[in-house]
Amino acid sequence: MPKWGMVIDLEKCVGCQACTVACGMENNRLPGEHWQDVIFFTEGEYPNTQTKWFPRPCMHCENPSCVAVCPTRATYKTEEGFVLVDWNRCIGCKYCMIACPYGVRFYTEEKAAYGGPNMKEVFPADDSHSWNPPWKMPDAREDWKHGVGVQPHDVVSKCTFCHHRVTKAPPGTADLDPQDPKTREFTPACVVTCAPGARFFGDLSNPDSQVNKLIANKNGVRLLDHLGNKPQVYYLTGEGGSVPSGRALKKS
Amino acid sequence: MTTMYLEPRNFREVFGHLGALWRQEGPIRFLRIAWNLGHEPSPAGAMWKFGLVLFAATFGFSLFMLFTQGHAAFNTSSDGVNWGMAIATYAFFALMSSGLTMIAALPMVFGFKQFYPIAKRCIWLSIVTLIAGFSVLAMELGHPFRMLWAIPTGMQVMSPMFWMGVFYTIDLILLTVKFYLLWQDDWDSGVSHLVGALGFGAVILASGMLGLVFGSMVMRPMWYGSFTSIFFMLTAALTGAAAIVLAVYMSFGFSRESMPEPLKSMAQGDDLPRVFATLIGITLVMVLTRMWTGLWSNLDGLEGFKALFASPLFHFQVWVCFALPMYLMLSNETRRGVAWQVLSAILVLLGMAINRYEFIVGGQLVPMFKGNWVNSLNAYSPSATEWALTLMGWGIGFFLYALGERLFRLHAAPPVGERSPQAVVSSH
Repeated sequence: MPKWGMVIDLEKCVGCQACTVACGMENNRLPGEHWQDVIFFTEGEYPNTQTKWFPRPCMHCENPSCVAVCPTRATYKTEEGFVLVDWNRCIGCKYCMIACPYGVRFYTEEKAAYGGPNMKEVFPADDSHSWNPPWKMPDAREDWKHGVGVQPHDVVSKCTFCHHRVTKAPPGTADLDPQDPKTREFTPACVVTCAPGARFFGDLSNPDSQVNKLIANKNGVRLLDHLGNKPQVYYLTGEGGSVPSGRALKKS
Repeated sequence: MTTMYLEPRNFREVFGHLGALWRQEGPIRFLRIAWNLGHEPSPAGAMWKFGLVLFAATFGFSLFMLFTQGHAAFNTSSDGVNWGMAIATYAFFALMSSGLTMIAALPMVFGFKQFYPIAKRCIWLSIVTLIAGFSVLAMELGHPFRMLWAIPTGMQVMSPMFWMGVFYTIDLILLTVKFYLLWQDDWDSGVSHLVGALGFGAVILASGMLGLVFGSMVMRPMWYGSFTSIFFMLTAALTGAAAIVLAVYMSFGFSRESMPEPLKSMAQGDDLPRVFATLIGITLVMVLTRMWTGLWSNLDGLEGFKALFASPLFHFQVWVCFALPMYLMLSNETRRGVAWQVLSAILVLLGMAINRYEFIVGGQLVPMFKGNWVNSLNAYSPSATEWALTLMGWGIGFFLYALGERLFRLHAAPPVGERSPQAVVSSH
């Protein structure tokens, strides 16, 4: 049984946000509903300041607090390591959004981002979907039990690690490498699209996988590790990159 | 013709009386009598009308907004405050309900018999405010009806929200049973005592668990810790005390003269203001010590306390809504005065409403990893729909309380010597 994980090399990441766009196209996201966001932050004080950034998907934690708080078990963790939402069970209480330390969950019913237009009104659905985007994944790929596709009204959605692609990978695959034609179509959209090749996706339970070697050899770190959620997304900071130690933007 | 409708003693009599009234008066006059809650004007009648109109207007408006805009009619957002004023209102009413049960337990479980005259009223108000809280919560949830099967079949025992639901459901059932027993004038049987004691246990668990819904969240340090649970239990008691003081005076037109005897002497006595002042004092200490640790610590995520401390609402709450009533309830000159007691109760209720809002919204002020996308602290102010839901809770509270007042002899207490006279829905 694989345990899928991601490594993001911040020395290579250029902050282009192509991952955000690719995820939005792959998963039919509304504007502002960025399952895969790139977070920009500043460090230091004028005149000695730096702007930094890091991509932030769902961390698919080993100890996910969102799963523990969900009163209906709509949010759950699979054996392969995915943290998913069953849209047929979600009651929209938003407790998981409260409990996620990384802010990666989105409630469907919200005011239009960036002041509009409201895409749900521009492309309204005539069935139980919350909207009907002009381009969307084939119906056969839609999977509400795993939170894949265009969601219904009043549920919470989140990054699925591209569950609909990754689970099609042949058994025993150690790494999903977008450069390899044999694994490219099973690789998460954000990894495939990453122009500088900063993202790696593979099996954390396989000692020979490239992700494990990167984490070991290049000192992979996890966001907010002190909270104990144990993300399955690791960052390589090297000499040029960094992740913030806290979540707050201090204005002291 | 003069008809006298005795107070119903069980459900058969309730529906029997209503049927008889319908047949005698015809539908139009029946509705008019119901609208007036009896044949004659009364404080309960005024509360009933006010509550019904408030409920109809706010429920209609929020339903319209939910059908046309859905929950986008709320000002909550995924990038900012997830739980807004509707959740604060739910917590306010649910904890008021818990507090009322705690006050009722003073005579029924702990033997402070001087509080018997308000026990039955407390239990009824407790049921009413719990219904108000649940109603607001149902309008806030994305899929309230799905909840009814998804929570029992999910059995996620790790979730504080699951246990909150379990304990509040047990609480509501025990309250209903206890009220039925009191309705049957069963104050002293073994079963009645047992239900009272179990109800007190359930309400401690329920209010404490509601605290743990927030207190378990280590990623939200403004809420984290077992303190939140204790804070919710003790402030529930204060909210309940304030609610019962206000409710008693409202039912008797803000005058002690019209109160039946045991209630009148209780209202004139020193015990009620003493309990009230003690609870305000405990709350004040908790609010101020929480603010101290919040302002003092450098921990990431506690920055919201600075914003709370800078807000005029916080100081209004502390000085006007808590410190002033505590003084009024301690001072020899004011603590027995009807006007001062009513003023204190209103101020404390206002203060607790502000406190629930500040606690729940304030705890989400620091953004969750949004970097420069969200500057500094999250902005939030409730939308018209969220205000309507809050007022809807009050509407439900008012009209159901009035209904109980008219139907159930809420001032009843265990018979000591002469029975108190039966009230009537009477005559024309």
